Amino acid sequence: MIYAVRHRTTYRYEAEVTFARCVLRLRPGSSATQTVLESSLSVTPEPSSSFDRIGPFGESTRTVVIETPHKALVIEAQALVDVHNPPARLDFGAPWESVRARCLETSDMGPLGPASFTYPSARTPLVGAITDYARTSFWKGRGVLNAASDLMGRIRADFTYDSKATDVSTAPAESFEARRGVCQDFAHIMICGLRGLGLPVRYVSGYLRTIPPPGRPRLAGADATHAWISLWCGEESGWIGFDPTNDIMVQDDHVVLASGRDYSDVAPIDGIILAPGKQTLKVEVDVIPKEELRLLRPAFGTR
Amino acid sequence: MAPDLANPAQRRAALDPAGAERLSGWLRGYRPIAGIPDELFDPTLTPRDHWLKFLGELAEYPAGQIRSRFNLATRHIRDTGVSYRIYGEENERSWPINPVPMILEQNEWARIAAAVEQRATLMEALLKDIYGEGSLVAEGALPAAALTGSPDFIRSLRGVPPPGGRYLQLYAADLARGPDGRWWVLGDRTQAPSGAGYELENRLVVSRAYPGLYNAMNVERLAPFFDAMRKGLASAAERVDPRICLLTPGPFSETYFEQAHLARYLGFLLVEGDDLVVRDGLVYVRTIAGLKRADVLLRRVDADFVDPLELNSASHLGVPGLLEAIRGGGVSVLNMPGSGVLESKALLGFMPRLCRRLLGEDLKMPNVATWWCGQAAEQALVRSRSDLAIAPAFNLPPSGDPFARPRLMSDLTRAEKAEFLARLEDRPGDFVGQEVVRLSTTPVMRDDRLEPAPFVLRVYATATPDGFCVMPGGFCRTSDQMDVRAISMGEGARTADVWVMTDRPVERVTLMASQDEVKVRRILGHLPSRAADNLFWLGRYLERAEATLRLVRSLCTSLMDSEAALHGEGETLTKLEELLIASGALDEKALGARALDAAKPALLDLEAKGSVITLVRRSRRTAASMRERLSADFWTLLLNLENGLTDPTRRLASEADALQLVESSLQILAALSGLAQENMNRAAGWRFLDMGRRIERGVNTCRFTRTLADAESTTDDLDLLLDLVDSQITYRARYLVGLALTPVRDMVMLDAFNTRSVAFQVFALREHLAALPSLVDDGMMEPPNRILRQLSTEIETALAADIDADAIERFEDALLGLSTAVADRYFLRGANAVPTIKLVGLA
Repeated sequence: MIYAVRHRTTYRYEAEVTFARCVLRLRPGSSATQTVLESSLSVTPEPSSSFDRIGPFGESTRTVVIETPHKALVIEAQALVDVHNPPARLDFGAPWESVRARCLETSDMGPLGPASFTYPSARTPLVGAITDYARTSFWKGRGVLNAASDLMGRIRADFTYDSKATDVSTAPAESFEARRGVCQDFAHIMICGLRGLGLPVRYVSGYLRTIPPPGRPRLAGADATHAWISLWCGEESGWIGFDPTNDIMVQDDHVVLASGRDYSDVAPIDGIILAPGKQTLKVEVDVIPKEELRLLRPAFGTR
Repeated sequence: MAPDLANPAQRRAALDPAGAERLSGWLRGYRPIAGIPDELFDPTLTPRDHWLKFLGELAEYPAGQIRSRFNLATRHIRDTGVSYRIYGEENERSWPINPVPMILEQNEWARIAAAVEQRATLMEALLKDIYGEGSLVAEGALPAAALTGSPDFIRSLRGVPPPGGRYLQLYAADLARGPDGRWWVLGDRTQAPSGAGYELENRLVVSRAYPGLYNAMNVERLAPFFDAMRKGLASAAERVDPRICLLTPGPFSETYFEQAHLARYLGFLLVEGDDLVVRDGLVYVRTIAGLKRADVLLRRVDADFVDPLELNSASHLGVPGLLEAIRGGGVSVLNMPGSGVLESKALLGFMPRLCRRLLGEDLKMPNVATWWCGQAAEQALVRSRSDLAIAPAFNLPPSGDPFARPRLMSDLTRAEKAEFLARLEDRPGDFVGQEVVRLSTTPVMRDDRLEPAPFVLRVYATATPDGFCVMPGGFCRTSDQMDVRAISMGEGARTADVWVMTDRPVERVTLMASQDEVKVRRILGHLPSRAADNLFWLGRYLERAEATLRLVRSLCTSLMDSEAALHGEGETLTKLEELLIASGALDEKALGARALDAAKPALLDLEAKGSVITLVRRSRRTAASMRERLSADFWTLLLNLENGLTDPTRRLASEADALQLVESSLQILAALSGLAQENMNRAAGWRFLDMGRRIERGVNTCRFTRTLADAESTTDDLDLLLDLVDSQITYRARYLVGLALTPVRDMVMLDAFNTRSVAFQVFALREHLAALPSLVDDGMMEPPNRILRQLSTEIETALAADIDADAIERFEDALLGLSTAVADRYFLRGANAVPTIKLVGLA
């Protein structure tokens, strides 16, 4: 399935900004599960310097410095991505304890190795209560995929999607206690639970195909960024995606943008500006299957 | 008078049998623990030669003198600010110093030094592989997960060659002597080892307490080590004459004193993250003369905090973009961020094999046996043995978790043990098991008696272009508990200087460079903006404290006179209180209070933002964050000022008591300004201190004059005004006719010959600004100069008869505008250097 993705972020500042340094993680990369056919990233005003690099977890980053005084910063990413995720077989997979043991033995230090993803991280600390919640799904000898899928289903069932309950900085312990949150919270909770049992798991940011209500037209800019998790299931199975917000295995509806230990590793924009005043932020996202694109092209717009 | 025992000639003359008795008393009373090696006594309970020599010399000091000499030296070193330490300062880590150093003889030391040098070399080689080629992990010599659990494993620096050519500048090993008398490595310090500065302080104290003894004993000097460290850092720079900065987390760090001390001793600029910016791949210090390149950073900020853009985004201690500058080779940061990964206990068990693999030799000193539970066999072993200690495998931030610190398996309750085993099952990689280390003992002196105390020794190695150089000495911490298990030691209770004895005379070395190495210069580089800011505000706070003290003094004396007769029904008193309220020294509700009831809070109310104590505390805090720039005497006076105000034994029962406190405080302030005038060199730093003082004084004089010298003013008001601006004597000498409005106004506002007048302050400010560097090259006047030029012209041409309250208010506003313009132009907080804000939001 081929998707056209547009992700536009606009910062508006009360006072003029004379200097900004930003790290952008807005360019999807090609992998075993997706191929990036086209991608572009534009920043307005024009940066005085721009530098591309592959980050520690395999994510593409661009560091830009803006020295033109400005009151608005617009960052627009576009990409055409072919997603070809093979379906995961839940009946397959090693006992989960052996996955934990193999992760500790691994000699793979690369971005796809599991060793960096088994330890707690800044935004996903070990939380005893969440570990115990996860443990219910992980009985002795159970297949890792089966157990993780069970945990995903329980999170979907036990938690309420509520965009008012949490914000971008809410700690997992808090959203777990409230049993409410959004995709980021559910992903963090699932990560805490799996890591509590010693399993290597990553936070994935990206986009989810949305299907407009029947008979309604697609609204431009109405989609959102999404987050889910990816669990390392041993060398043979590799990384398998689970979307606890929707209780679905990650397959052809998910476009991966970046992945890391938690949200802070993949935040689409990290930046420092020299500015005395307040700022506002607007994000517009469109994820459109290629076949619909033909119909929509004028609205979608290309540069 | 007692003979001076520091003088060898007099000491010989004073040779007394009491000394011999003292020595044998010490030795008789000394009881090492059975089965535990001791530094003073060998296993046959015979004192070792080098110790006997030291104690013999020490015994010649009469009873009581050791303690008094030692206390005097400690106080002198600390109070005069040589070490910048203040007793009881918030967050400051402080260990009392043992009057007896720990002494090692040269053969034993040679073995320790060789082992530490080898280990430092091994650490450097490990970092080179871990962050470079990665063969140790790829080839299975080191599990990846034994590295990735460390918060100091900085993934984004993998594959980045360290800009200075090496990862480590300073390495330290914590050592202990085991039951068999052999030395063991307890742990490695590769992040930013602390303690070297404390050791410098210890050496200063001990050598000052017994100068004769120290010089007679052939003790290896520390200076060559620090010289090597300085040269090592300089060799990591691209430029020949590099600017080296010590990057500190700031005054709230518990080892800030040590960092300030080291920076001053080594001649480095002490900077915080805010002082630095990254531009075009290079790192710059913000100074009053613009951005100046920083070539090398000696890092004391933990790796995760050095770059909020790439690493911990919550950090306020770092420099955004620093990692990018490192990747581009634009700055050498030592120790390289990420070096701390080697501090993980998880790695200790691998060291013997890694040493053979990387250096082709065996470890010269073993480390404590350690098993990382991330390996199945090791985990099984740790489960099976109840005689081990358990500890976190990686350095983690402190938490309430009972297993976040080392514990003895045998100390765990049944429930704790069950919890631990369950945690070990869930996350085996988080833990190590360790052999329980028993420490040996060294003598400490308490109440003129010697007692054995368990100790840990930290030994330092610094990198030079020719390899590592080991400090002959170290940072010794002793415990006050007789529990000799290393785990019970914690951070230690006391510290001791460490002497390495040689049998040859020791060359007297200082950090003095040879003639041809030194380029003559008169100004020490460009003043960092932060220091300028601090000095400016120190000047303002001190002057404001003085003005407030003068107001309180007038308050107290006014009541001592016959109030109704002299002060027209207390109107002047009311005006005084209004001035105190306006300056924030007094609460509005206090208006109309009795003089003493207003004086007390104006002096001592900790809640009032303008009370004398608040202003003095602010001065002291401002000064504390730049202790390396203030002279010892300045610092001592400042502390005396605060201590005088907070003296708990002082009672303010009457106006006379308050007056006494005011007078003594004013005297200290006068001494401080005298010191600043006569003892500070006339570089930019002094100018900022003086500018702050002059702006504040000008503003206060304008305020006093507006309140006390208008058309309705009484002679009492004018009299008070002259008191407040300290111009009483000048006026009386010049005008015999008595007080009149116009001549008083002229004297306090316009008279350029009166050092307290507004005019005098303005002209002094003009001189200061003219001497400071300019940032513009377009021939335009910078804003502070423009404001000041206008003001000074107006004041020069004004006539006293014409200036009314409005004109005075205009002067006052101009001075306040000048203060803002100076801040904007020169300081970090000014408009030209607005704070960095983190972009927020889920984008």
